[in-house]
Amino acid sequence: MNLSFLSPLFLIGLGALALPIIAHLISRKSGVKKSFPAVKFLISSQGDLATRSKIKDIILLILRGLILVLIVLVFAKPAVFSFSTVQENTPKSLAIVIDNSLSMGYDDNFSRALRKAQDLIDSLPEGSFALISPLVPNNEQEPFLSQDKTQLKKVIKGIKLSYSFTENDKRIEDIYSKLQNAPNEKKTVALITDLQKNGWENEEFLRSWLEVIDVSEGQEASNHAVSRTQLKYENGSIIIEATVSNFSSDSVQELLTRTRLGDEEIREFFDIGPEDKSAKKFNFSMDKRETPSYGSVETSHDKLKSDDVRHFIINDQDHFKILIVDGDPREDSRLSETYFLARALETISELSDTNISIIDNDSFLDEDLSVYSLIFLANIGEITPRIAKELEEFANNGGTTVIFLGNRVRAGSYNTLLKNILPGELQNLQENRLSLLPEDSDIFSKDINEKVEQVNIEKLFNFAPYPDSNILISTTNNKPFLVKKDHGNGSVFIFTSTADASWNNFPITPVFLPVIKKIHDLTYFAKSKRRNYLIDETVNIEILQDTESTIVIDPSGQEFKLSFGAPEFDNTQLPGIYSVEEKGENTYKFAVNIDPKESNLEKISIPTIESNTAQKGGLVKVFKEIWRYFLWGVVALFVSEAAFRAIFSQ
Amino acid sequence: MSNSILDIETALRLKGFYFRTPSKVKGYKAGIHKSYYNGISPDFLDHKEYNKGDELKQIDWRLYGRHDRLYVKKFEDEVNMRWCILIDKSASMGYGDNKSTKLNYAKKLSATLAYLLLKQGDSVGLLGFSENDVEFIPPRSGSSFITTILDRLESFKPSGTTGIKEPILKALEAYSSEASFVIVSDFLIELEAIEESLKLIRHSRKEVSLFHVLHPDEIDFDFRGSVEFQDMETNVKVIVDTGSIRHTYQKRIGEFIERLKLICHENETRYVFSPINKSIENSLIQIADK
Repeated sequence: MNLSFLSPLFLIGLGALALPIIAHLISRKSGVKKSFPAVKFLISSQGDLATRSKIKDIILLILRGLILVLIVLVFAKPAVFSFSTVQENTPKSLAIVIDNSLSMGYDDNFSRALRKAQDLIDSLPEGSFALISPLVPNNEQEPFLSQDKTQLKKVIKGIKLSYSFTENDKRIEDIYSKLQNAPNEKKTVALITDLQKNGWENEEFLRSWLEVIDVSEGQEASNHAVSRTQLKYENGSIIIEATVSNFSSDSVQELLTRTRLGDEEIREFFDIGPEDKSAKKFNFSMDKRETPSYGSVETSHDKLKSDDVRHFIINDQDHFKILIVDGDPREDSRLSETYFLARALETISELSDTNISIIDNDSFLDEDLSVYSLIFLANIGEITPRIAKELEEFANNGGTTVIFLGNRVRAGSYNTLLKNILPGELQNLQENRLSLLPEDSDIFSKDINEKVEQVNIEKLFNFAPYPDSNILISTTNNKPFLVKKDHGNGSVFIFTSTADASWNNFPITPVFLPVIKKIHDLTYFAKSKRRNYLIDETVNIEILQDTESTIVIDPSGQEFKLSFGAPEFDNTQLPGIYSVEEKGENTYKFAVNIDPKESNLEKISIPTIESNTAQKGGLVKVFKEIWRYFLWGVVALFVSEAAFRAIFSQ
Repeated sequence: MSNSILDIETALRLKGFYFRTPSKVKGYKAGIHKSYYNGISPDFLDHKEYNKGDELKQIDWRLYGRHDRLYVKKFEDEVNMRWCILIDKSASMGYGDNKSTKLNYAKKLSATLAYLLLKQGDSVGLLGFSENDVEFIPPRSGSSFITTILDRLESFKPSGTTGIKEPILKALEAYSSEASFVIVSDFLIELEAIEESLKLIRHSRKEVSLFHVLHPDEIDFDFRGSVEFQDMETNVKVIVDTGSIRHTYQKRIGEFIERLKLICHENETRYVFSPINKSIENSLIQIADK
């Protein structure tokens, strides 16, 4: 047996031992001097008392010194240890990490993980330390080392299933670092997980101290989930396109899917092939709903229920509509002026639930522009004063107009009719082989600016921008290629060349899609009020009046008060519909859904390490804490000291 | 200056009291004390059978008529008394705060007693003593003598060790005839020395009264904490934990007082316990008669 200290720094406190010794020495010298006539009686009285007093002082000094020493030792946490070969019964320090990510909600994986953790605690040899931690951190207390199995089991019971995932590699490294303060030689992290792929950046995450326990016991998990909802408006109806994914290797037949919007429910059956997905549209009449409203798409439950439902919010932003006006339409759409533009916008619309309409020049003259948010004019030859006025109003009301030029465009007509909204004046045509140069603008990303040089221009209109315009991209001879002007609440972009590849290669370069998307996003996000979020995303709460009276109510009914001056809400740990209330009145709702990535239960292949073989043959220190005995010693000494003083003062 | 040690108020309150000796004295002036010389006083004392030599005028003829035998009347005579006040002026008597020292108390007590004794017609002498210093004023009567006594008392300063035998011998030498001794001291000396001195006085057929003057600190020992005490006469130092020693000390000083009382009793000496917080009046009244 050897003695060691778990917190040896506290031993510095032994210096306090000097205090009673100094006090004793000072008392022996006595600070008070006095002349007295009857000293002979004092001497005769002191005869036996002097010896008695000396003994008393020394005993009290020893007792008080011992009390101080023991108090210091209690804080220093003394532990006796012996060297022992590593065996099953060797005390160790174990961090049990319980995977509480969403995928662990599959079947009874999570409850099995909790039981497994309790078994691990029960099997810990005497003298071991353990630490319990969820894999996905929550707002509960920090993990702590303890020998108390009852306390550790209490922590296990308190761990709750999360609806998200985390960076597993980093989290496990962090937890292992917490084990470093533990006294035992052998330090292990036991990860009880379903080995689901999400959260693992490094599939080769293998550590000598990591023991992975596959709670799913290697079984393949079949899961389906509502992975996407998309809202569209068509002919006075709202169409909710629900995508259901099948993540298993077996096909799913007649999967009942119910879409609810208000009181109305529409049912559909899905047949989905293995590892495939299927989308169906649910058509709700606009007349029947009160905007803004919310709903959900829910499939029949499988063993992972939490991803079988997806919530959505319908609001005015879902009316984001794009109009593409093709000034040179062809029967073969690939030859049309707007072919590349339409493809790009279709791709973008998949991400942002936008509605695209493509019309020709004639239809454009009769079109009601007020229902659109973004209008692309591609090689429009005829502009009427009425449409010019509508375009101006459209811009005033916050719409964005993007103008591509072409051989049908008459510069004079544009300059006259669209004078108020054009970013500059169209001049003559220039034919010259030019490349593009990015301007010093923070609109486009560095990536776009670098790639823009790949664009070759054969022909373009010379353009004289007005002073209130911004040249975003120009040619190598300093001719403007893309110019922007803000007008009213909206803006107008003009490309001085065509939208098709007749005058340039712009539509067929990798720059085209990002540039169009950027223009789309600037409009979309300027008009959009985001209402759909993922778990753990931070929501910027829109405050109508004041922050102090604003509360957010989560799907469980729990109310969160916003902190003063920071209308941000980050308690989005539950999927469902959240309400924002100001002064007791609901102002709007937003939906929080789980990340569909978690629904894919595909596993990674981290090998399970049975035990740390490297340490098996060596010696380890087996600790047993004994500070409690010292604490009892302190109490006993305090009692003794008090009793001793009482006896001697009589 | 002298008035400061003479407690006139106390003296006035004790005006109706007389300080007498318990035994008869051989006075030569008329006073309040019983004289050995019978027959002069009108106070009848006793009868005795007539012997040759007795004065005929002292024969009690009435008793002769009744008993048919001759008896002679014996009368007591009251004579004045000679007093010697011995006051301890050793260093230990200087204990106390400012004017509340034991010596000051002893001076006041001695001055007041001397004043009263002179007032009742006795003669008073004064002897201030310490081990090596004895100051003596021979006894005289007459009220005006108080001034001399007061002046001398005023001049006493605490110094030296306590020695009682030498001053007693000196006083005995000065008072060869009948006298009464009053010793005012803290008696912080060996009891054997006190006993020996008292016996000397008693052998000389003189009355003795002791005023045992102590400071309350010496009785109660009301000190706190650890204190280094230095003896005022011997300079011996001792560090004591006052709390732990108090009880034993009180026991020791109590035993000393009791033994001193016993010695006084054995030597027919009046003992008056006079801590300085006791009034002079209460101390003096213990040796006074109405």
